[in-house]
Amino acid sequence: MQAKFVHGKILHNTGRGIFYRMEVAIPDRIDFVPGQFAMVSGWPGNDPLLPRPLAIFRSGGVRGKGTVEFVYKVVGRGTALLSGLHAGDPLALTLPLGHGFEFPGEDRSWWLVGGGVGFSSVFPAAAALDGQRADFEIFLGARTRDQLPPGEWIPGGAVPGRVHLCTDDGTAGFFGTAAAALRDRIDRGKSSGLARVAILACGPREMLKAVAELALPLDIRVQVSLESHMACGFGVCWGCVTAVRDGEKSVYRRVCREGPVFDAKGVVW
Amino acid sequence: MSASGTFGYGLEFTPFYDISRLGAVIVKGLSLLPTPGNAPGRIVETPAGMLNAIGLQNIGVERFVHEVAPRLEDAGAVYVANIYGRTTEEYEAVARRLSEVPALAAIELNASCPNVKEGGISFGSTAGGLSGLTRRVRAATGKPLWVKLSPNVSDIGAIARAAEEAGADAVTLINTLVGMAVDPRTRRPMLSNVTGGLSGPAVKPVALRMVWEACKAVKIPVVGIGGIQSAGDALEFLLVGAAAVQVGTANFRNPNACVEIVDGIRDFFVREKISRLDDYRGKLLLP
Ligand SMILES: Cc1cc2nc3c(=O)[nH]c(=O)nc-3n(C[C@H](O)[C@H](O)[C@H](O)COP(=O)(O)OP(=O)(O)OC[C@H]3O[C@@H](n4cnc5c(N)ncnc54)[C@H](O)[C@@H]3O)c2cc1C
Ligand SMILES: Cc1cc2nc3c(=O)[nH]c(=O)nc-3n(C[C@H](O)[C@H](O)[C@H](O)COP(=O)(O)O)c2cc1C
Ligand code: FES
Repeated sequence: MQAKFVHGKILHNTGRGIFYRMEVAIPDRIDFVPGQFAMVSGWPGNDPLLPRPLAIFRSGGVRGKGTVEFVYKVVGRGTALLSGLHAGDPLALTLPLGHGFEFPGEDRSWWLVGGGVGFSSVFPAAAALDGQRADFEIFLGARTRDQLPPGEWIPGGAVPGRVHLCTDDGTAGFFGTAAAALRDRIDRGKSSGLARVAILACGPREMLKAVAELALPLDIRVQVSLESHMACGFGVCWGCVTAVRDGEKSVYRRVCREGPVFDAKGVVW
Repeated sequence: MSASGTFGYGLEFTPFYDISRLGAVIVKGLSLLPTPGNAPGRIVETPAGMLNAIGLQNIGVERFVHEVAPRLEDAGAVYVANIYGRTTEEYEAVARRLSEVPALAAIELNASCPNVKEGGISFGSTAGGLSGLTRRVRAATGKPLWVKLSPNVSDIGAIARAAEEAGADAVTLINTLVGMAVDPRTRRPMLSNVTGGLSGPAVKPVALRMVWEACKAVKIPVVGIGGIQSAGDALEFLLVGAAAVQVGTANFRNPNACVEIVDGIRDFFVREKISRLDDYRGKLLLP
């Protein structure tokens, strides 16, 4: 689906723990690939000037009427301004943008890893897999219990053994990072074979690097969704680049266009 | 027109609108060889503006000619190539090669990029340097030659005049202002290149003043750039004498910015019953 610039209207924008969930009415229904994002600006005036990238959490509606949903965490000025908006406020959006996760056809077990607010691009992937009744497990990492997403947001989360919660301080689930829980899972999986496992991950760069270093030597395919400061979000400013391998060389690729999802094999950490 | 470096090769905008509605699309700066650009962090937001140190990442003139130029012709817009080199010879070589591309209406010589060591600013910051470069590139191409000026100079009128005397068909200004941002906690610069180019609404008053001064200094057309976000901003540049305007950073927040500005200017002229651009352009009323 080609990107569009649209004016939307906020339907609701409500805080839930450290996260905000915002639904926006837009002129048309949009289809998106999990991992794709929108550039969002909703405040009057020129400061801050640039829109902010947010992963598309969900989309809905019928022709002539659409909705799109985001989950975000307040980290600075832009997201603080967003969190102060109310139902009825206007929002400008460019979407859907970027190259999302790929779901190769073969029968696979999917392991989805979300660190911090990174679950916002992993959950749409889980929702898609849940819809296909595919086999998947989710690893969610957070500093503490109250920084984990609410249970009812987790797609297909009711299936026993499917969701692995991990906290750095041990206040919920596994005591340690999502990458450490994944290491345990890989160890357990070694006996039954890992050949059909594929990993999708989004979160802090250190986490993605750890996941890649665990899984790539075992020939597990890993896709990572990277973050970068963006000005345009649709490939024209070249501000958002990250280094990736191209044969022997390392070259700069745009996170907003060739990414945000990259094959972890190519990423220069 | 779109400003170089903020519009890719133009094709990125075709999902948003018909780019043939613009006066011209100025493509991203081209160099003789492909250029990898600077390491990331390349952009930092500043109050009402941004700093960039992209380092002119581009595919090089050969790939442009073979892969991009044919597709530009299909899109039906008017194209201008923005070029830069590390040496006078490189500038000449790029200009010569692009002269053979029918899709290009003109060449805009970037003598003003602040983000690469030899990226033209050493030529563009003195009247003598700019004059020598312009003369050589002028001789290398039969296309109309625009010279894009740096604002990082003390007398913009003298620089604009140097370009005119050396054979430029138009001058465009301003390129970005050299700026810097640091993180007080990590004690590090926010850009890997340390300094970068400031653009966006924050630079508009400086750009407007410089365009006004350049318009008084030369007879060739002056193309105004810097912080234009709305038709109102563009009209200010026309009023001080600009023959046309380019829109850069505004494209990042609103991909439709250029075409909305085109429509806004037309609506203003209709509302004000102005039938010819020349009845408005340069008609600033001084105190
Ligand atoms: C493709 C993509 C999808 C994203 N999806 C989501 C999402 O669904 N939900 C969500 O909450 N966040 C998401 N983010 C991150 C979000 O864009 C940033 O948190 C936001 O831009 C911060 O803006 P701000 O004005 O609040 O912070 P600023 O005031 O700009 O910055 C505050 C602090 O955060 C850091 N920071 C800002 N932006 C980034 C970034 N992109 N990467 C790393 N550090 C950054 C700054 O360096 C600074 O330390 C996504 C980012 C990308 C690139
Ligand atoms: C990300 C970025 C890249 C740019 N690259 C170029 C370039 O390649 N060549 C050039 O002449 N100017 C370049 N510029 C300068 C712009 O064309 C323009 O002169 C400047 O940004 C001021 O206009 P604005 O405030 O409307 O953005 C670049 C600007 C930005 C923000
Ligand atoms: S954010 Fe502009 S190219 Fe990626």
